[in-house]
Amino acid sequence: MSSESSSPAFGHAMRSYFGFDSDYINLNHGAFGAVPKPVVEAAHALTNRVESNPDYFMRLEYELLLDEGRARLAQLVGADVDECVLVPNVSNGINTVLRNFEWAEGDILVSASTTFDSIARAVENITGARPQVPHPGVSKFILDFPQSHATILASFREHLRAVKSQAPNNTIVALIDTIVSQPAILMPWKQMVKICKEEGVWSVIDGAHSLGQELNIGLSEADPDFWVGSCSKWMYTKRGCTLLYVPKRNQHIIKTTLPTAHSVLAASEDKPPTAFVMEFIYFGTVEAIPFLSIKAALDFRDSIGGEETINAYCHSLAKAGGRRLAEVMGTSMMVTDNEDELIANMVNVELPFPATIASTKAVFRVFQNRLLQDHKMYAGHFFHNGKWWTRACAQIYNEIGDFEKLGYALVAICNEIKEAEAR
Amino acid sequence: MAALELRSTFAKHLDVEALYKTDPPKFGHDMHKVFGFDPKYINLNHGSYGSLPLPVRAECDRLTSEIESSPDRFLRLIGINHLNEVRERIAKFIGANTDEIVIVNNASHGIGTILRNIEWHKGDIILGTTTTYGAVSQAIKYLADIPPNPDISTFNLQFPISHSEIIIAFREHIRKLTQRPDAQDYPERKTVAVIDSIVSNPGARLPWKEMVSICKEAGVWTVVDAAHSIGQEPNINLSEAQPDFWVSNCHKWLLSKRGCAVLYVPHRNQHIIKSPIPTPVTYLSPHDEDYHGPELFTKMFEWTGTIDFVPYFSVTAVFDFRKWIGGEEKIYEYCHNLALTGGKRLAQIMGTSVMDEDGELTYNMVNVELPIPGTIQPTSEIDALIKTRLLLDRNMYAAHFHHNGKWWTRCSTQIWNEISDFEALGEAFNDISLEVVKSAGNQHVTCTTDNRCIVS
Repeated sequence: MSSESSSPAFGHAMRSYFGFDSDYINLNHGAFGAVPKPVVEAAHALTNRVESNPDYFMRLEYELLLDEGRARLAQLVGADVDECVLVPNVSNGINTVLRNFEWAEGDILVSASTTFDSIARAVENITGARPQVPHPGVSKFILDFPQSHATILASFREHLRAVKSQAPNNTIVALIDTIVSQPAILMPWKQMVKICKEEGVWSVIDGAHSLGQELNIGLSEADPDFWVGSCSKWMYTKRGCTLLYVPKRNQHIIKTTLPTAHSVLAASEDKPPTAFVMEFIYFGTVEAIPFLSIKAALDFRDSIGGEETINAYCHSLAKAGGRRLAEVMGTSMMVTDNEDELIANMVNVELPFPATIASTKAVFRVFQNRLLQDHKMYAGHFFHNGKWWTRACAQIYNEIGDFEKLGYALVAICNEIKEAEAR
Repeated sequence: MAALELRSTFAKHLDVEALYKTDPPKFGHDMHKVFGFDPKYINLNHGSYGSLPLPVRAECDRLTSEIESSPDRFLRLIGINHLNEVRERIAKFIGANTDEIVIVNNASHGIGTILRNIEWHKGDIILGTTTTYGAVSQAIKYLADIPPNPDISTFNLQFPISHSEIIIAFREHIRKLTQRPDAQDYPERKTVAVIDSIVSNPGARLPWKEMVSICKEAGVWTVVDAAHSIGQEPNINLSEAQPDFWVSNCHKWLLSKRGCAVLYVPHRNQHIIKSPIPTPVTYLSPHDEDYHGPELFTKMFEWTGTIDFVPYFSVTAVFDFRKWIGGEEKIYEYCHNLALTGGKRLAQIMGTSVMDEDGELTYNMVNVELPIPGTIQPTSEIDALIKTRLLLDRNMYAAHFHHNGKWWTRCSTQIWNEISDFEALGEAFNDISLEVVKSAGNQHVTCTTDNRCIVS
């Protein structure tokens, strides 16, 4: 463990560990992550190894390296290594789970109004299937923010009970976010899992933002039915690496990877105990360098202080940054009475922008292009619950000045759009 | 040439533009300079995992740096231009329209996407062969296992066999399928044939264009698994061949970074692909209030989840590299001729024969019988033995498998190979075969003093 003097201070000094342009301010880490230089270099070294002898690497080394990464992840999330496999991304993981369920007519898939947009499309595609393919119906749990955890939990239980009363003999599956993306909201997902268990409902957890942002994930204890979390957002791996957690009791449900891989056993064949892990070894991406970047990512995080130190900085900056942002824009942060309830390392701040301006692709593009091309920065921007918001992510390479600059940039862009609309 | 000596360091320091102004290495071992292989490694198995040329690696590393310099800017504003350029160049290369081409992770993903999107009904038939690639035949089995449970039919392909024999047998198989007694129970029956353009094990070229024609005449859909085709098969010309679907790995013979494949869907069939897998944000649901029709096929495949896009974008650099080293015709001529002569030499050294005497089944992969009695059944122990002897003891590799009652090796001939590689492999297999025979306890084999085993 490095001493205080040998590990760099967090803030702009940490930018030297990332590949950002010197004039680029990244307040959107949550979208695509950012790969620290030691991880990029580890990936380069792995590529050198593969290319020096692809057959040797793929046939004799790959599995061991894969298992090493899985074991580190299993430790981080408090699960058994045989319950942890890797998939390219969260969309793939969630689609794998939802499409493997043997649905029957009358089953219900409960999503939320805040379900991530591509996942919501997958839900539409699955629940809108033709009659020849048994498929569930959908029930949407409406979530408008801000609201407290207590309120969420109460209305969640109510919603499940209502669904159950309409489908008393059917399978009900609830899709739950650990941390909503837009707006950025830390959810009481563990308590929601408990409620699911009490109500006899399956829980499929979209933990896209959890690894590297949420402490003490504790999957064996929380015991969801399925859990998917990106390694390439807050956990610093190369893009294309995501954890799919399936407790042993549910592994028989996952009959195929997406796409189907070599070692999938058809229904009529016997399934040995480690078949689940075997399924996911060689499927999909042949080049699994992203999967193999887990070790470098976690080693780097340990070397700069570890999960608690990293997240203490980011969490406190998210709050301070949100306050400063609100100050600059003359608006407010999205909070409840307890500031720490909804905020992890991402903060939503209201934009100085009237609700009368419609959320169109054109408006989105103005924000996107001005921020990226003119101001050389990025943060999320969206309409939710009758207001316009920005979502800013606090990372180890950010400082309060970044939030300030974002505020000024957003004020300018909002003014530009307001003036254009007025004409 | 100092630039070329950077094999063990990051290729991003390679000045590719300067390199391409110089003469390329000659075909043969000279080509090792522009690949990342351990110079002593004899690679006769390019067909399995592909290989990444150093100049393409350099571009990949540069792209990685560009993405990290501003991930949102690149992924939201710039990436799409790279993707479209790749699609355009591939389309020209295979004789298709740009808007009939999308990029996916690999061939299994492409085939899986097609098969899962087809609207199956009870009574439909999925036709595979005994040589269909493992992941694809498992995908077919899975689809038959879930409702609405289409049937499976399997066309038996045992090599060696001539193209004319395949065509006759395939036509007969199709005829029988379309005239099955239960045809009247399923008047709307749909039959979908999954056809390899080039089989993996053995590495054999199929008359796929003729097979597609036979299917068309019979009203059978064709899904062509062309995993090995792009960069190996000359004159692919899809607008002429007109398969219903076609998928190929760019990270095999085309030399891109691993994790890049082409999915070709002609306009007439794009409505069948309702959703990529996984479903993207661009998917439009018929149940949407404001539904005006499905999203464009090509648009849906632009983003199906966060991945490392560098392999997709590496294709542009690949075409530049292939042009520099001599162009498609020269590449094919070298590899193809060496496959034929190398295979014969290999057979000579092992005292066996090439699977395909007249070369009809051979593009750049050649199959040669191993001096192991076919009665010895393949086991995971034998597989492990051969693998470790080749890779660990002798620093070389070629594929090895049991097919149609015999043992074979499949050699992939690439621009860096020479005849001496085949000779070294032959010597190695003579020793290894002896060991396999001894370990299997086969009593009916005599081995000569120069380590050739003869079945008696």
